[in-house]
Amino acid sequence: MPLRPRYRHAFIAIVALSAGAASAACGSDRAASSAKAMLVSTARCGDDWKSGPGGVTSFTMTNNENTALSVYLRATGSGKVYFEVEGFGANATVTEQATLADGNYQLVCSGLETGPVPGTTVRVTNGASLASAEPGIVPVTSNDLLPISIAYKNWVTAQLPTLREQISTLADAVKQGPTPAAKADWLTAHLTYETLGAAYDAFGDLDAGIDSPPALGVDPVTAEDLTGFHKIEALLWSGAPAAKLTPAVADLASCVDNLVRQFPDAEIDPNDIALRAHEIIENAVEFELNGTTDAGSHTNLATVGANIVGSQKALSFLLPLLQSRYPDLAKTQDALTNAARVVAAFDHNGSWTPLDSLTRAQREAVNAALDNAVELLASVAAICDERLPGAQS
Amino acid sequence: MNRPIVGRRGFLGGLAGVGAAAALGTGLAGSALAADDASAMYAFEGPHQGGILTPAQRAAAFVAFDATAADKAELADLFQEITGRARFLIAGGTPANIGLTDSPSDNGVLGPVVPGDGLTVTLSVGASLFDARFGLSGVKPAKLSTMPAFPNDALDRTICDGDLLLQICADNQDTVVHALREIARATRGGMQVRWRQDGFVSPPRPSGTPRNLMGFKDGTSNLSTSDAKLMDQLVWTHAGRGEPAWAEGGSYHVVRVIRMLVEFWDRVNLREQENMIGRRKDTGAPQSGTDEFDTPDFGSDPEGEVIQKGAHIRLANPRTAQTDNQRILRRPFNYDNGTDPNGNLDMGLIFAAFNQDVERQFVAIQTRLIDEALVDYISPVGGGYFFALPGVKDSADWLGSALFT
Repeated sequence: MPLRPRYRHAFIAIVALSAGAASAACGSDRAASSAKAMLVSTARCGDDWKSGPGGVTSFTMTNNENTALSVYLRATGSGKVYFEVEGFGANATVTEQATLADGNYQLVCSGLETGPVPGTTVRVTNGASLASAEPGIVPVTSNDLLPISIAYKNWVTAQLPTLREQISTLADAVKQGPTPAAKADWLTAHLTYETLGAAYDAFGDLDAGIDSPPALGVDPVTAEDLTGFHKIEALLWSGAPAAKLTPAVADLASCVDNLVRQFPDAEIDPNDIALRAHEIIENAVEFELNGTTDAGSHTNLATVGANIVGSQKALSFLLPLLQSRYPDLAKTQDALTNAARVVAAFDHNGSWTPLDSLTRAQREAVNAALDNAVELLASVAAICDERLPGAQS
Repeated sequence: MNRPIVGRRGFLGGLAGVGAAAALGTGLAGSALAADDASAMYAFEGPHQGGILTPAQRAAAFVAFDATAADKAELADLFQEITGRARFLIAGGTPANIGLTDSPSDNGVLGPVVPGDGLTVTLSVGASLFDARFGLSGVKPAKLSTMPAFPNDALDRTICDGDLLLQICADNQDTVVHALREIARATRGGMQVRWRQDGFVSPPRPSGTPRNLMGFKDGTSNLSTSDAKLMDQLVWTHAGRGEPAWAEGGSYHVVRVIRMLVEFWDRVNLREQENMIGRRKDTGAPQSGTDEFDTPDFGSDPEGEVIQKGAHIRLANPRTAQTDNQRILRRPFNYDNGTDPNGNLDMGLIFAAFNQDVERQFVAIQTRLIDEALVDYISPVGGGYFFALPGVKDSADWLGSALFT
């Protein structure tokens, strides 16, 4: 599964900032951006910014640290951050904008080994009203995310025996060949796995053996390099005999055994929980709603349903961080609930409507529900992105 | 002053009306600076929508949507959201700064300051919007119906019709794409794309009216959009006279995606081509005249010895007293889509037209064109009948507001 390109927030490089702040009245941000740059560094973190009216405010800063620097702007009272500059090279000049309400603010500079070092506290007055200010957030730090990733990992770990048991049931069933019972057992186990999507990254290469999708344009029944759930799916729904099903299920069982054994020692990047809450649904939209993972069972909608459960589960662990930071949290949860309801309508006692059988209106309703949820989940990943060690007041 | 609306997403599940959207947008008060580059910027507010009388821009996307909003209230939200996005995009300016709380509020395709770039966003509604779903059946425009298949049509219904149509036009293709993405992003839960056809207007070759992909100038005898009285008679719908009160200032919006069988056409000799059209291919002049804008003379040619009786321009506009009120405002775009399995190129014309009464005008013309000689070389495949909503009156108004009162 594709993963968002990740870069670790490399320990904040020494910021040598010189912040030159210029306040832009309505309609004059062109003037603001031409303001003289202020030098910033950990020694002098924007001390040239002394005061100013609120509203749209531009900060043109030149890194005077001789090394990489990180700079952010925060409100001293709430600890909310309004912008951050990372990857700020020595001698480079950048312009950032913030829309500031009245209050006290400071720039904070960090270098690789220095900081965070706050600059002078600046009182902003005569600014836009609070309602018109840009939304800042109290940054989410690694300290916030660590216990969440541990709790999430524990939850995943607790699901693995269930998965393993369901695969044993499947193994027994396929001894009788591609029976309806065997197909039902396959679906049960596959959906369990699909709810664990938040841990794809942590499953690493093991996932490839368990749930790789079939290659496009290749018959999944005969594709030699296809293994795992989708291989078994292709065999079951094409009517393959027990002699072919049994070794394929044994391979899957072996991969899951490895997973059960290795997962407790795996490291989950604390950032992953929020990324997964978002990206499980991105993957559902990209792969399941396009049907590209289908190897014959036509159960993509069932998989989407399991993915929604997986996203909801990941989100549930993040609630303590999101409740104070994400105004649309309830809306996001409602969107997932709604998507689950829309998709569940196509479950007829374990027999799922194939994508191709949806009417246009049904298809549009499914697409709209998932699209709506995934737009809202994007903020979850943005808000929970680990930022600014030491930024919290 | 136009304000950017923060690109809020998650359309369903929250009834964020205009007020709420504006509140979110106020973070940007003062930052909605019109781009002061040289490109055209059209007014968003007025009695009529832009993109109708507006001179055709170089690039266009016709995108039909089906409403997936759950009910009438969500549909109203959808119209407000489209209005908010269109209002900002047309004026241009600096997109909302949302700090670290989300992915960027604007996709950035047009750079940090969005230029107007001649953008128009025209929202039209299809007959299906007035079915039982939203309780709007009582206010359907009187002449709005589902586009029928005319005898020479080869309609693929998957690329026809729709609850809504966005006609997005601008001086550059990137501005069209930017607007489409921004509007779609803000409205994901409320509507889903049904079909889309992009188009372009060619530059004059070498002068006069732009040519279509058959190589003929197309639109030479179009209505004069500066003639307000004529527009009132032929383009704008009026309250009363059978139309609901809210329809004042709207227009029936006909879109026909007409495939041109260009390989076949290119194998047809010039005389035959010109006889089918009724104009010279090089100058665009009617066969009865010398210059492009000469008026075709049918009166002294009753037997069709100069301009054949079956010529396209003669059937489409016979220039008689009886057909005078059938004339339509055309706003066509060329399209170029790709290839067929047989290697033929898929290209043609997006016939777009505005008229006061689709039956009196477009249907009458199209009926005369049934079995014209040209039908062997063209194949209408998609499109639909829509109704372009009246304009947005002021900064508090929104597209379609009168539908919901």
